[in-house]
Amino acid sequence: MAGEVFLFGIRHHGPGSARRLVEALDALKPVAVLIEGPADASDLLPMLADPDMVTPVALLTYAEDNPANASFFPFADYSPEYQAARWAVRHGAALRFIDLPASDRLGASDGDIAEEIAARAEADPVSHDPIGALATAAGYDDGESWWSDVIEENPATGPIFAAVADAMTALRADEKSLSAREAAREAHMRIEIAKAAKECDGAVAVVCGAWHVPALAERRSLAADRELLKGRPKTKIKATWAPWTAPRLARASGYGAGVVAPGWCAHVWDMRERDRAAEWLTKVTRVLRDRGHFVSTASVIEAQRLGTALAALRGRPAPGFAELREAAIACLCNGERAMWDDISAELLIGAGVGAIPAATPLAPLLEDLQRQQKVTRLKPEALERPLTLDLRSDSGLMRSTLLHRLNALDVPWGRLMDAGRSRGTFRENWQLRWEPEFAVRLVENLLYGSTIAEAAGGRLIEAMGKEAELGPLATLVRNAMIADLSRATEYGIAALETKAALTSDGQSLLAALPPMADILRYGEARAGTVEHLAALMPRIVVQAALALPYAARNLDAPAAAKLRGALLAADAAIQLAQIETDVVAGWRDALRALMNDDQATRLIAGTAARLLYEAELLSADHAADLLTRMLSPGTPVAEAAGFFEGFFEGAGQRLIHDATLRGAVDAWLMTLDEESFTASLPLFRRVFSALDRTERRRLMDALFARSTDAAKGYRLIAGASDLWPAHQARVLELLTAGAAR
Amino acid sequence: MNEKLRLPAEESYAAELKALAAGDGHRPPGWALSPRQVVTYLMGGKAADGTVITPKYVGDKRLIETAVATLATDRALLLLGVPGTAKSWVSEHLAAGITGNSTLVIQCTAGTDENQIRYGWNYAQLLAHGPSRDALVPTPLMRAMESGKLCRFEELTRMGSDVQDTLITVLSEKMMPIPELNTAVYAQRGFNIIATANNRDKGVNELSSALKRRFNVVVLPLPDSAEEEVAIIVKRVGEMAENLDLPAPKNVADEVARVVAIFRELRSGSTEDGKVALKSPSGGLSTAEAIAVMIGGISQATFFNDGKLTPETLASNMIGAVVKDPVQDTAVLGEYLETVLKKRRGFEGYYASLTDLI
Repeated sequence: MAGEVFLFGIRHHGPGSARRLVEALDALKPVAVLIEGPADASDLLPMLADPDMVTPVALLTYAEDNPANASFFPFADYSPEYQAARWAVRHGAALRFIDLPASDRLGASDGDIAEEIAARAEADPVSHDPIGALATAAGYDDGESWWSDVIEENPATGPIFAAVADAMTALRADEKSLSAREAAREAHMRIEIAKAAKECDGAVAVVCGAWHVPALAERRSLAADRELLKGRPKTKIKATWAPWTAPRLARASGYGAGVVAPGWCAHVWDMRERDRAAEWLTKVTRVLRDRGHFVSTASVIEAQRLGTALAALRGRPAPGFAELREAAIACLCNGERAMWDDISAELLIGAGVGAIPAATPLAPLLEDLQRQQKVTRLKPEALERPLTLDLRSDSGLMRSTLLHRLNALDVPWGRLMDAGRSRGTFRENWQLRWEPEFAVRLVENLLYGSTIAEAAGGRLIEAMGKEAELGPLATLVRNAMIADLSRATEYGIAALETKAALTSDGQSLLAALPPMADILRYGEARAGTVEHLAALMPRIVVQAALALPYAARNLDAPAAAKLRGALLAADAAIQLAQIETDVVAGWRDALRALMNDDQATRLIAGTAARLLYEAELLSADHAADLLTRMLSPGTPVAEAAGFFEGFFEGAGQRLIHDATLRGAVDAWLMTLDEESFTASLPLFRRVFSALDRTERRRLMDALFARSTDAAKGYRLIAGASDLWPAHQARVLELLTAGAAR
Repeated sequence: MNEKLRLPAEESYAAELKALAAGDGHRPPGWALSPRQVVTYLMGGKAADGTVITPKYVGDKRLIETAVATLATDRALLLLGVPGTAKSWVSEHLAAGITGNSTLVIQCTAGTDENQIRYGWNYAQLLAHGPSRDALVPTPLMRAMESGKLCRFEELTRMGSDVQDTLITVLSEKMMPIPELNTAVYAQRGFNIIATANNRDKGVNELSSALKRRFNVVVLPLPDSAEEEVAIIVKRVGEMAENLDLPAPKNVADEVARVVAIFRELRSGSTEDGKVALKSPSGGLSTAEAIAVMIGGISQATFFNDGKLTPETLASNMIGAVVKDPVQDTAVLGEYLETVLKKRRGFEGYYASLTDLI
């Protein structure tokens, strides 16, 4: 006794076909539901009905020995496959996947996959989303609008799925030969359908992409189909559910099919029979209002009317996605496309995140970690343990990369002890400690990818996308580079470039320079590609140089101190990165302009003068002149003190060695009356407190001219010239004896 | 031979309009063509009898569809865009296509008052017979309301905000009260308003929100591709130079391409290859301004430079177009020169002379 087979050609992630499918299943009441999906993951299907399962989720299959070789099959609320699976569980029907097992796809060697991708790219537009292709051909932007206009609202055609099957038969009529993989897939499905029909007693519903309907309906000999399946690759695979996000639905992967506008699809699904246009426009309005735009209810009514008029003008029964978009731009966004683009990401893509039940089998990230722990011979231990890595050795580099990646995933198994100091050197000191909750955190990261490398990259990319400030962004790029995540690094550098171009805030431009210099140096130690960055850094230096004079004006004390720190760090970075000389010259010119700019905050002007002095671009005489002028009695004491602090803070030692400079300062100090001197005392203290005791003594000695020759501050004891030759001979003897051993 | 310098659209394209009108299609009340025929009239195509319709607007068809659909719903249409984006041209042809009459125009300026929008008085009549309908002098708006035609407002934002707001009642209630006579003019079916306005210009009055929300807004963009823009400018510069009796130097096309490249990059906020993002100056940098820069440069070349068009002569004209805000725009231009133009071949002259000028 064989069951009767009913084929339902659907549009992957098509809310229209999902709704019709549920209705059709309700009417048919099949005993078995077969779904196009990897046959070896069938046992996971009933979990879709778990109340803890929140869409979007993805079926994740990966090769056991290499989780990077993985494919995802996302499901959204409005995916017909998801609705079919839920229907089957609710009604107790048998539920099965019938497509080629995942082991086939994952077992294929790289060459095959590349071929397949190429083949798909050729066949893509029609075979992948035939309904979308038909819609595009009819001048629609959106397959769903076409589906509802042509398939659902056309009273002439009979039952919907028959109409779809007819359309596909026509489309496939003049098809060229199928790729081997496509042929095998359809053969596999035919075999499975036949098997199910034999086993079951009643209706068997087959839910598959519309494209496959004609091929599955065809009668072919079982033997011929078996022949097609011979010699297909195989590998051990594992399958599980992974939480998914709406933005990722928008990307093409597996059966994902790249939903163009998940937000719109979800809306169409949620609305069912309600007024789709009005509610969509209300949603648009709400988003616009949230962003602070003023949109009145009357405008929404007008948008609705315009949408209807546009649909009439284009000969469509109801306003679809394109009409509503244009109406929203004209009536709600004041015609500004930019305003629409601004809200469209939120509206069309959304931010929904899926969740999976706790009972979901194993997590590939944990497995990947275990494997990498084995490879790198790092054991998770609950006790704290120090670890020193030499980055020149392969094993050291591998361990360091793993630890950095885990840090990017917010799994701080290792903490870098001398962070900030060891960069650019070949040694890293870690403190390792494994906490049990790390495993949980790791599983949460499944959202970003199925291996540690992928997930870390994905997570950093997300963080970079959200980062508004240039400095922290550059730090993220550095982290990505240290963790050897090339995709995230590339993305980050591109983001840096855009951000750098759009900012004119001197402070944030300066803040970006130190991490960038680090990256440039790291690039050498880590053999990463830094070419792009090497071009970007000079550009930022030029921009910062142009922005500096404006940034240094009218600052209060805390802001000036902050800018001073940034300026010093940036200058150090510029020297470190060894960039082109004319760019450096531009930077120095900016410093010079700063120094001579009367409007610049004094502290900053002092700092600029000091940097130039250190770079030997300001001669000692000039510096002394400058100091004398800046510190002359005509200058208000507060300003003079600011300049003084800018010049000397953290560089008090200069005074010991530099007599001209010292003279200038000395002369200035002597001009101060008692009151101003007392007022400036804390400042002097701050400058001189950086000197240690010996240095302070040497400075005093120098000031009071206790010594005139080379060894300033030290006096020869009496008779030293007689004793010295004997001492020297003994020292030499000791030294040579040491060398002989 | 016609003595008029330029004919209105409905006369120049009378044959096309007639051919289109011969076809069928549902026409909203007062329309001479169906909405779809109006779109064909603007975008070009074929009439039902095979007559070729020339394209009047080269660009995105969706924009024209939105504009026509707006007018079909009795909502007023506001065409927005920087100068030189064919706003008035589109408005004229829309009026010609829809009602066959594009001559009901009110040119708005800072000096436009309410009498020019609503109605004026014939004072001789007024003194002789007192207030009456006969003493009223109708404006294009009033005539359009009474005859169910389209009235066009050119440069709506250039008239004062208080005068703009006279339109609110007309747009929402489709009637214009005449309190002096205790009566009102009611708009006939088919009446509507098309307004054009600059969204980025000095000397304009912001539309009040009350008025703005009575319009559906369509923004007409600048030309998409550099080639298209260069072609428009070369053609227009040629025509204008001829009009002004300026001999056009040989290298005009090359220099236009360079000026357009600079304008487009500054305007769009990124280099043409998309690799470097830039800041944009406060001015619009429209195609029309590029034309003005070229004409200025040619004039300077003719009278002061023995007819040689050089980057130096163009640069001084360009500064005026780019730097509208002396502090902000100078910084933007300076950054552009240092980060982009400095290293680009063929632009050395522009880099040197622009750097000198700022």
